[in-house]
Amino acid sequence: MSDPSRRGVLRLSAGTALLGTLALSGCGRGDTATATAKATAKSIDDKPATGTVNVWAAQGDADVLDKVIKPFKAANPDVTVKFTLIPNAEYYTKLQAAIAAGKGPDVAQFFPESQAQFLDPSILRPVPDGLVDSGAFFTSLWDAGLVKDVAYTVPWYAYTYALVYRADLAKKAGVTAPTTWADMVPFFKALKGAGAVHGLGADNGWDIFNGQDVAMYAWQAGGNLLSSGGSWTLDTPEMVDALKYNASFFTSGSADTATPTFLDAQPYFVSGRTATMITGPWVLGQLDTAAKKTGWTAAHVATAPLPAGSSGSVSFSAGGTWGVLADSGNTDASWKFVRYVSKPSTQVAQYSAYGSLPAVISAWDAPAVKKQPLLDAFLTQLKNTKAFPQVGTWQQVATRLGKEVETVAKGTQTAEKAAASIQAYAKSLGTGAE
Amino acid sequence: MTTTLVPAARRRARNSRRTAVAWLFLAPFAVVFLLYTAIPTVAALGFSLTDLRGSDLRHPLAVDFTGLDNYLRLFQDPTFLRDILNTGVFVAVGVPLTMAIGFALAVALNSGIRRLRGVFRTVFFAPVVTNVVAVALIWQYAFNAGGTVNKALAHVGLAGPNWLDDPHLAMPVVILLGVWRNFGTAMVLFLAGLQAVPEDVYEAAALDGAGRWRQLRHITLPLLLPTTLMVSVLLTVFYLQVFDEPYLLTDGGPLGSTESVSLYTYHQFGSGQLGMSSAASFVMLLLVLLVSVVQFRLLRPRT
Repeated sequence: MSDPSRRGVLRLSAGTALLGTLALSGCGRGDTATATAKATAKSIDDKPATGTVNVWAAQGDADVLDKVIKPFKAANPDVTVKFTLIPNAEYYTKLQAAIAAGKGPDVAQFFPESQAQFLDPSILRPVPDGLVDSGAFFTSLWDAGLVKDVAYTVPWYAYTYALVYRADLAKKAGVTAPTTWADMVPFFKALKGAGAVHGLGADNGWDIFNGQDVAMYAWQAGGNLLSSGGSWTLDTPEMVDALKYNASFFTSGSADTATPTFLDAQPYFVSGRTATMITGPWVLGQLDTAAKKTGWTAAHVATAPLPAGSSGSVSFSAGGTWGVLADSGNTDASWKFVRYVSKPSTQVAQYSAYGSLPAVISAWDAPAVKKQPLLDAFLTQLKNTKAFPQVGTWQQVATRLGKEVETVAKGTQTAEKAAASIQAYAKSLGTGAE
Repeated sequence: MTTTLVPAARRRARNSRRTAVAWLFLAPFAVVFLLYTAIPTVAALGFSLTDLRGSDLRHPLAVDFTGLDNYLRLFQDPTFLRDILNTGVFVAVGVPLTMAIGFALAVALNSGIRRLRGVFRTVFFAPVVTNVVAVALIWQYAFNAGGTVNKALAHVGLAGPNWLDDPHLAMPVVILLGVWRNFGTAMVLFLAGLQAVPEDVYEAAALDGAGRWRQLRHITLPLLLPTTLMVSVLLTVFYLQVFDEPYLLTDGGPLGSTESVSLYTYHQFGSGQLGMSSAASFVMLLLVLLVSVVQFRLLRPRT
């Protein structure tokens, strides 16, 4: 890397400050800028792509992408696609700094659950009309990239949470998967009666993930995290219900606050020390390894959509998306790359190579995906998901919510007080859009 | 006296040349100090007197001057008061424990096992130079519900708790990591102090019939007072600012039982409360200053 010039350093400093400010202030979206952005989103033709496309992605699902897009490179011989894979934990930091310095890639991967800070015409180009069929994707994943009806990202892979449980123990206990909140604790107790030490292996990080879980339960109870006017609505009876529901797993003895950390979660499940997980689909591919036996998962595990609260079985949507940066010098080839990656056939190839579940609904009909019966519950759930609030302060609020969840689960604070506390905190932060 | 023979003008020229050279050597440090310590400290003092929040960075001129409001809010915040108490526990338990282990090992290395001193010094100093993130990950794994510690306890028929999830047990584990990381520094400093004590003093005392305990009490300890002062101040400042250990092991949990003032400052900053965060960091600075001055006064060798 060449030495940065003085101008470059100044630009980096100013840009980082500006981007940080934009991130903190909900990007300062103006109606004029949005309208202009929409007007500049020209359609992309079918001619072969040319030039170089620099792609940045987080390590993980993108590790295999270079191989997956081989047909794209073959059909577009004059294009060079250069991948830069960055460790997950540093990804957004590096991307933010690069964008601020004007040295970002042409195409970047984002996460629909935390991409709000980037959805701005000064950072990303609007998705050109007709590039993809927005109705082909799971709704909440597409919606996560929308600001004032302008789409900035195209979904790539999808995941959500569902119930993953020990089918053998459920059969022994003579119970079926719970379908409502009221069924949950009796189900866990039945699994315990069938030999499990705990019915539920609960996540006890007391962090952003616990906050997200409870946000999901609040939706199931009929609540909303933001009002239609865009202000926080966390001190609600629905949030109180959600906190109590989550705490009931611990107070009933179904789950232990001394459950294992993530390193032990799967060995515990395989050994029967826990019998249920509320988790994502990636776990399914890891249980055979934990059991050290091929076919263990198929013989011992079942999945089910999350039990419904008074407002149904809602989960959250997450995964990966793609955006083309405003500073890109090769937008034509960049969009052609994004279009290719979002094709159902490419998404099936990506699933076969890495297990990334398609964000395009029709790709789930491909035999490679369809022949996996344990994924059915995740497909059902993905059709009933919501996106987390697309505001700059959501991650801070969810992290704090995770800490409040701990106090209720351990009985040191009532659910009502915790809800009031999280509302006061969120209100003091704002949404970043004020 | 030779200086009186040098003409005043030449002396002044030489002095100013020396001063310039001194400044030249000081310049790199001075620049770094100004940029990364002095200016941010002054800025933080300014921020602490305003209601600055993350979202205000867009309109810095619209920030209101709130005087001591942030400080008043801090001392009305039960979380902050709890964190001051937690930090006090870190200091009250961590400092004496680290010093005692460091001193005991230094005495042992200085007397009984001189031939293997190099080896032991390296072994005991290793935690000081080991990457704290890697160490914290290992400790986290060792102390979780199914971790190494509980597996060892299971061998003797004991069911171990989930150490880092219990508000009463997490703090001892976090302090233990701090002690483990720091006793090597204390040991090396005490060892240097012990080696500076002249042998003939001990020989004279031995001839007068003083046993090992009397030698330790009446020779070693008084002569080691300057070293003790330095070690205690260093460790107190470290434990007052303790951050890595609670951040990496527990992030201040469970239920805030291991959150230090530094971690409070960090969490406030992360949630965009820049004014409050600056005020908290200033309170910590004053606390460190106060404790250091008191220690210097109490432990200063009397001449």
